[in-house]
Amino acid sequence: MIKKITRIMEKIQVTFGVIFLSLFFLVIVIQMFARYTGISLIWTEEAANYSFIWSVFMGASVMIHREGHFRFTLFFNKLTGKAKSILIIFINTILLIFSIALIYYGIIATQNFWNYNWFSIQSFKMGYMFISIPIMGISMSVYMIDHIYDAYKEMKRCE
Amino acid sequence: EELKIVAAHNQTSPENPYQVGLLAFKDKAAELSDGAINVEVHAGTLGTSEAELVEKLKLGAADVVLVSPGFMSRTGINEIQLFAFPYLFDSYDHWEKVVDGEVGAQMADIVNEKSNNDFKLIGYWTAGVRHYYGKKPIYEIEDLDGVSIRTQTSGVVADYWSSLGAVPTSVAWGELYQALQQNVVDAAENAYPYYVQQNHHKTANGKFTSETGHDYTTRFLLINGRKFDSFSAEQQEILMEAAEASVEAERASLYAQEEEYKKILMQDGGRINLLNREPFIEAAVPYQNEAAEEYGVTELLEQIRELK
Amino acid sequence: MLGFGLIALFLFLMFIGVPIAFVIGIIAFLGISAAPYIPEVTVVMKMFNGLNSFVLLAVPLFILAANLMNSGEISKKLINFSIALVGHIRGGLAHANVLVSMIFAGISGASQADTAGIGKVLIPNMIDTGYDKETAVGVTAASSTIGVIIPPSIPMIIYAGLTNTSVSELFIAGIVPGVLSGLGMMIVIYILSLKRGYPKYERTNLKKILRLAKEAFPALMTPIIIIGGVITGWYTATEAAAFASLYTFVIGMFYYKTIKFKDLPGILEDTLTLSSLSLFALATASALGELMGYYQVSTIVQQFFTAHIQSTSVFMVIIILFFLFVGTFMDAIPAMILFIPVILPLSINLGISPVLLGMVVIVTLAIGLVTPPYGLCLLIAARIGDMSIERSFGAVIMFIAVVLAVLIFMAFFPDIAFYIPKLFVPSLGI
Ligand code: NA
Ligand code: NA
Repeated sequence: MIKKITRIMEKIQVTFGVIFLSLFFLVIVIQMFARYTGISLIWTEEAANYSFIWSVFMGASVMIHREGHFRFTLFFNKLTGKAKSILIIFINTILLIFSIALIYYGIIATQNFWNYNWFSIQSFKMGYMFISIPIMGISMSVYMIDHIYDAYKEMKRCE
Repeated sequence: EELKIVAAHNQTSPENPYQVGLLAFKDKAAELSDGAINVEVHAGTLGTSEAELVEKLKLGAADVVLVSPGFMSRTGINEIQLFAFPYLFDSYDHWEKVVDGEVGAQMADIVNEKSNNDFKLIGYWTAGVRHYYGKKPIYEIEDLDGVSIRTQTSGVVADYWSSLGAVPTSVAWGELYQALQQNVVDAAENAYPYYVQQNHHKTANGKFTSETGHDYTTRFLLINGRKFDSFSAEQQEILMEAAEASVEAERASLYAQEEEYKKILMQDGGRINLLNREPFIEAAVPYQNEAAEEYGVTELLEQIRELK
Repeated sequence: MLGFGLIALFLFLMFIGVPIAFVIGIIAFLGISAAPYIPEVTVVMKMFNGLNSFVLLAVPLFILAANLMNSGEISKKLINFSIALVGHIRGGLAHANVLVSMIFAGISGASQADTAGIGKVLIPNMIDTGYDKETAVGVTAASSTIGVIIPPSIPMIIYAGLTNTSVSELFIAGIVPGVLSGLGMMIVIYILSLKRGYPKYERTNLKKILRLAKEAFPALMTPIIIIGGVITGWYTATEAAAFASLYTFVIGMFYYKTIKFKDLPGILEDTLTLSSLSLFALATASALGELMGYYQVSTIVQQFFTAHIQSTSVFMVIIILFFLFVGTFMDAIPAMILFIPVILPLSINLGISPVLLGMVVIVTLAIGLVTPPYGLCLLIAARIGDMSIERSFGAVIMFIAVVLAVLIFMAFFPDIAFYIPKLFVPSLGI
């Protein structure tokens, strides 16, 4: 069940990340061409920045699922069997607490600045930008729980 | 009882008038409270982006910050834009009469109300008067035809420059020296202490300063309103007095620096010319009216004009 | 006291294998929670605001450009051309490895993509033709550090953003140390090759060289278009990164016809995930930097330095040693976010220009790309060559010495080192 959820979640996050990445790439290209034709577009920088932030947060979540974030493995690789599973559970619990903090404070940030607007387009709200933080936190938490569950099963198997 | 106040502005140079102003705030508060009120001054260490300082003020991550009208408007308080209209003020005298008088008080109320007491305005500072500087001097409006100028690319400021025939262009502050050197833009606009410090006047496209004086800039010294309300009456009084001292110190420092940097510019071979500002001022009037309508500050605009 | 506790916890979490970006974020959270007057929400605000900067968009875009080069086999064309040029020298493949990294450096702003793309082709190729594994891995990893020294360069863009320095000046300044490092590595390779009898190819005839040059021509033009465009102000550094991607995409798709539409989602996904790693670390580092800002670490360090250190040479030595140390366990981007605001005022007080300081820091951190335990390029090359980090480190030491020599030359004799670029750009702020 959880495997299915995380697989679908990852797929959605990758898709959104790629869309945001392509979006800011396009916006910058548009900005370049606009400048040479003498048109000044005021929204390009903000539009590019915010889709960039969304893409980074989505990409960072995906890499939690794929265990791709850089870390030291010297000590980690020395362990085997049950000890290794315990360490995995320990590390992921720490990361889970961090992700929950991201959710909690991300919601506070979103609430506080929900009604602030873009510099260039006053009708665009900052809420849709800040909400990327709790969404990142939620997805990371789900991936961590999945990792902890896997490690727990592995630990039981070793016993 | 001890009280710690975190005060922040976005300029990193220790000689900047902002720093002078906040240090005066700190000293006065310490003096009046016998050291019980400790103001910690951050010169750029809490961020060099004004948008970020405003966010910090709201969240209580900073207690006193300094911001310009453009960034305040992101909080949804559009009225504040009024102070950035081109040619709104015709001299520092006029500017002081406005901000230290009835209009300044009304604007302070608007900021406090519209921000739900997140922000309380406790002083009006300035970042100097902005002039045109470019590769050729400006004497009349026609001279601006087709001149690409680094200025705001949106809002009333951009509309105004466009109407004069100039082309507002966006260049990051850190890239502007190169941009003027390499003909990316023909001109820019700013106050003496800011662009002379960056040596813009030594570039090919920054040599000629024309004293357009199109913007006597206003900066807002803000304190977190809810936090302010939680202080004792005595502490509040001390902080207000400290704010007054800071206003005096900042303005004096800025005015002095304006003279100082103007001299440096001339010594370095930069050229300065005066011009008949009347046509430029007249051209600004319709844009002021239109924007005032949009932001609902027509009455305030009239009051400002009457104080001339 | 709190500071030492946090540092100890930092090292502990890192040691047991918590991802480094998260270690930085956790320390920021704990530090800010311990300070009574800073609300915890500051951490997430700073993560968001740390990323809210237009110059940073160059990071994924340069990685995208490199990925397009690699998957479009444009890298291979450059490799073939490089072999044709220098293959006949003893140790030809190793020389070509360095040369192609120098060309690649002129297109890509990141070193990892260079290691991965070129390593995949050249490491097996070198081993097959009689090089020992150490040399194959060592040369690949070491030469790819040039990627961030020769412009365009992601660290230069980040540094410029942090210090309000001109990106174009940094780009111009990077050319000399980058080329010197490459030539120095080639000399080391030549001496090694004589001693160990590494093979050489037959000299390629001029006709074939011209044919390969023609084939590689659109790719060879990329560095000139990108660097030239930034220096002359046609476009900003971020736009240059977008343009590099656009250009490689167009030549890969329509000229070489090696990129297919169906490859694009995969290329974009790789770009997303790879760039998110360092950018997420940047976000958490910004939060930690904020904590240092509240404690006014820069003022404290400044007071210490003004009281005890007046000599620019001593300052330079301290900076180099410090960033060599930091580079062993941290990426260039978070390292700069954390420490540049602290050291910049010191260096200005001592009369060292921000451009020179930037070059020294960037070259020093480039060495960090190949120093264990956390040297990204070394990790990637070692993985491709299937050998341990310890062994591969032995192979890069000689090349690190080359870059160090260039670094020392540049830091202590800037007038000589930057003599030539200053002839062309008298305003260069060094
Ligand atoms: Na490069
Ligand atoms: Na290489």
